[in-house]
Amino acid sequence: MSDDYYKKAKAIPLPTLSEVNDLGKDWRYQDDGYTVTRTCPWSPPGCHPVGCGLKLYVDADGRLQKVEGDENHPVTQGRLCPRCIALKDYVYNPARILHPMKRHREDRGKADKWQRITWDEAFDIIKKEYDRIVAEYGRESIAIFSGTGREGGTMNPYGSMVFGTPNKCYTQSGYACYTPRLAAAVYVTGATYAEWDNAGALPDRWDDERYELSEVIVLWGKQPLDSNPDGFFGHSLIDAMRRGSRIINIDPRVTWLSTRSDIHLQLRPGTDTALGMAMLHVIISEGLYDKDFVEYWCYGFDELAERVAEMPPEKAAEICGVAVEKIYAAARMYAKAKPAGLLWGLAVDQKTNGMQNGQVIISLQAITGNLDRPGGQFLPGAGSGHNELGYGYDEGVGELKAKMIGIDQYPAYCNMILDAQADMMLKALETGDPFPLKMCMYQGNNLMACTSMEPKRWHDAIIKTMDFSIGIDTFMNPSVEASCDIFLPLKTVAEREGTVFTHYAPCTVTAGFMHKAIEVGEGFSDMEMVYELGTRLRPELWAKEGFANSKEFIEHFRLGKREHGAYFDKISQVVVSQVPVDYYKYEKGMLRADGGPGFATPTGRVELWSTAFNQFGEDPLPYYAEPEFGPVTTPELMEQYPFVLTTGARTSAFFHSEHRQIAYLRELHPNPITEINPQVAKRLNITEGQWVRVFNQFGECVQKAHISPIVDENTIHSEHAWWFPEEDGNEPNLYGVFRSNINNLIPNFHMGKLGFGAPGKCLICNIEPVAKNYDTNMDLVWEKFGKLV
Amino acid sequence: MNMAEYGLLIDYEFCTNCGSCVVSCKEEHDYPVGQWGIKLHSDGPWQIGDDEWNWNWYPLPTDLCDLCVERTDKGREPICVHHCLANILDYGKIEDLAKKLVDKPKQLLIVPGFRPKQAKGEFVHRTNKADLHTAAHLQAVGDGHAEFGAHRHDARVGEYEAEAAKE
Repeated sequence: MSDDYYKKAKAIPLPTLSEVNDLGKDWRYQDDGYTVTRTCPWSPPGCHPVGCGLKLYVDADGRLQKVEGDENHPVTQGRLCPRCIALKDYVYNPARILHPMKRHREDRGKADKWQRITWDEAFDIIKKEYDRIVAEYGRESIAIFSGTGREGGTMNPYGSMVFGTPNKCYTQSGYACYTPRLAAAVYVTGATYAEWDNAGALPDRWDDERYELSEVIVLWGKQPLDSNPDGFFGHSLIDAMRRGSRIINIDPRVTWLSTRSDIHLQLRPGTDTALGMAMLHVIISEGLYDKDFVEYWCYGFDELAERVAEMPPEKAAEICGVAVEKIYAAARMYAKAKPAGLLWGLAVDQKTNGMQNGQVIISLQAITGNLDRPGGQFLPGAGSGHNELGYGYDEGVGELKAKMIGIDQYPAYCNMILDAQADMMLKALETGDPFPLKMCMYQGNNLMACTSMEPKRWHDAIIKTMDFSIGIDTFMNPSVEASCDIFLPLKTVAEREGTVFTHYAPCTVTAGFMHKAIEVGEGFSDMEMVYELGTRLRPELWAKEGFANSKEFIEHFRLGKREHGAYFDKISQVVVSQVPVDYYKYEKGMLRADGGPGFATPTGRVELWSTAFNQFGEDPLPYYAEPEFGPVTTPELMEQYPFVLTTGARTSAFFHSEHRQIAYLRELHPNPITEINPQVAKRLNITEGQWVRVFNQFGECVQKAHISPIVDENTIHSEHAWWFPEEDGNEPNLYGVFRSNINNLIPNFHMGKLGFGAPGKCLICNIEPVAKNYDTNMDLVWEKFGKLV
Repeated sequence: MNMAEYGLLIDYEFCTNCGSCVVSCKEEHDYPVGQWGIKLHSDGPWQIGDDEWNWNWYPLPTDLCDLCVERTDKGREPICVHHCLANILDYGKIEDLAKKLVDKPKQLLIVPGFRPKQAKGEFVHRTNKADLHTAAHLQAVGDGHAEFGAHRHDARVGEYEAEAAKE
């Protein structure tokens, strides 16, 4: 990267910003007795890497007094969501853990048995256990359980350069989060992702002369407003709508956005691929596609046309449960709009048929000529991708890669993301096959609350098999409480340096930098922890790398430079930069490593007939498969479990399982909510706010009923990732982690052929009212967590 | 009464219920759980026609909204306006905001009053009160009769008369 890659971004003030403001201020400045540090946060607290602009106000005593959105950020423009607004309450929360702790193995699950220790003691214990376990069982016996959204979640050097194990594993069945979409994008286009172009990288944003406002934006299984998914600033969508963009919403629920949409396709959960094939069929058979783009830049169009002809809209309408006219209307509206964007969401991943869902979406974006077009889909250039993914892999893991769990059965999955296949990992934990797992570490993962399906199975297997477990976090959580012997504290965004590339780097528009504003406790950032642990556990390996300190490692790892930290210090002062972008890169040789025109696929074109899918033994063309459980596949089960269960819609109060101990955020959303249609509630005698038991053949949980036509009469929606930090942390309660946990109802081992995709959003269930009231006591939450320390 | 000068203009067509106004305000003012300077209210979703829904969110200031006087004194906008993710809150002089009402439908102009009971101040008796009426210097003399009924005098419902008052 040349130095001007990271140029200071130009601020675009919002019309509501007063004339007294902080535009043009330095990365650090004084204001009314405060030292203000501008920063772009990324984890912890966990979030997708947007790196929203933040101003941290620190008083003369070094205490963070105030957090405000930074109006110098070109995309967020001073706006912030509640989670960063309440950052102070996270940093100084009385439940935060600020020093290392140990506990005897036999005391796992006992919340009061932790003992404070020094870092030296912590490192000594870890080193001793590591050396013993590696000598006895090999490095492959170490599992790294990684989560989502935290920097630690994707901190691959924990696996490669610290522990040297190939068995880092994102613990969600079928990696049903983001990576299936990445895989579909890579297999079909050779580019790592195709995000809707929100002008995020253009200096004049919406008014930039290169930009064209999207006429139509399709939201496919995505609610970008609450979660800033994948690092995309969700409210960009509102910015575009207020400028005139119109919306097509594909979602089983009536959402606020669907009420603002021209067309809402309220499909049965899990049937998306059928809908996509039908839309492709309409666009192809009516000649609405971009004929030049298809002629010059696509491969396998005729085969695709033939395949989607098997799914006329009439058939899809029946499968999806939507009016056939709406499918025609949506296909025509999208295809005729120039340009048109399409935001594809988590729902794409969370079905066994998810890869095919991704395939039809990319195909729609391609044949309508919207790939790499302003206001269409923004494509990353050659060389994009997770910048940390392969870092130190050969040196740190090398030939041991062959012992990655699942690599023989699921090479597409394992090689794509350098991760052990999640379902195979559970099998290995439970059976010791292909080899025993003896040591583990949680990196940004509270798997028993959030990322793991059938969480009690994971809980039991981990506790039984692990000789030694390490938890790394800012707070205690149920997974660490249940299973760990060492706790290592993490710094928050206010206490650390670092970088944040939107979309984790596979599709970046802004690069942000984190600056340390305060000191709290004894924690490290994840990158510092990698250095500290790595240099102790594998001194020879790290000696070869030759980093004098953690900052030199960070500079090389994130920015590819070795200037003893001077480069990082210089560049980071821009705080936020828009990365240089271009459009129609396939015409200019900017998508391929060889610099030739075209796409980075074997044929050099967008592969509507995919060589990669074919090579991995999957159908090269998209096909529809019914969810494995549902009215079509298992009619015999529908009497017992008459509803389709969909899960996991977000709220702005929390990032997955985080933030439950932040009183102001919990107050926004105190209880786990299950949405029930009014007719169903009437039939089952359920009243608003009553607690209900949600159950199916895999498990059950209790949640609080919200009666609303948000869902239709066939569908139930339940929230995910609930636990209750105000409750007893001892086994078996574990902060109530299994009581309201919707993942109890979601199985493992139902992934797609390539190992990707799992049915988190399309199962079946029944519900019944329960007499007991489990309402959160906000007085208790306020008493326990409201008084900052 | 104090005159009102400043207010908030709310484009509720695009309020997404993100909660940033609510939490910002609590942080700015240190309001405890259970108290707010601004709160989100909603109506919906309910169906209007086959394909149309009513679902609106309304961020409405409470009696704890002081329009961020400490910020606005320095010329900055209130913190809810600064953080609003959909950028649908605007602060200004009522007369300026009122002019913007014609720009589009689904807007709300609201003028909060901070702790109105406190703003009224303690009760103080009016001074210089002119007594508009003083009691007449006349004496009433009774005739010893009393009637015990809620009916009209001329209604014929039977007679219940009081005994003559004792001398």
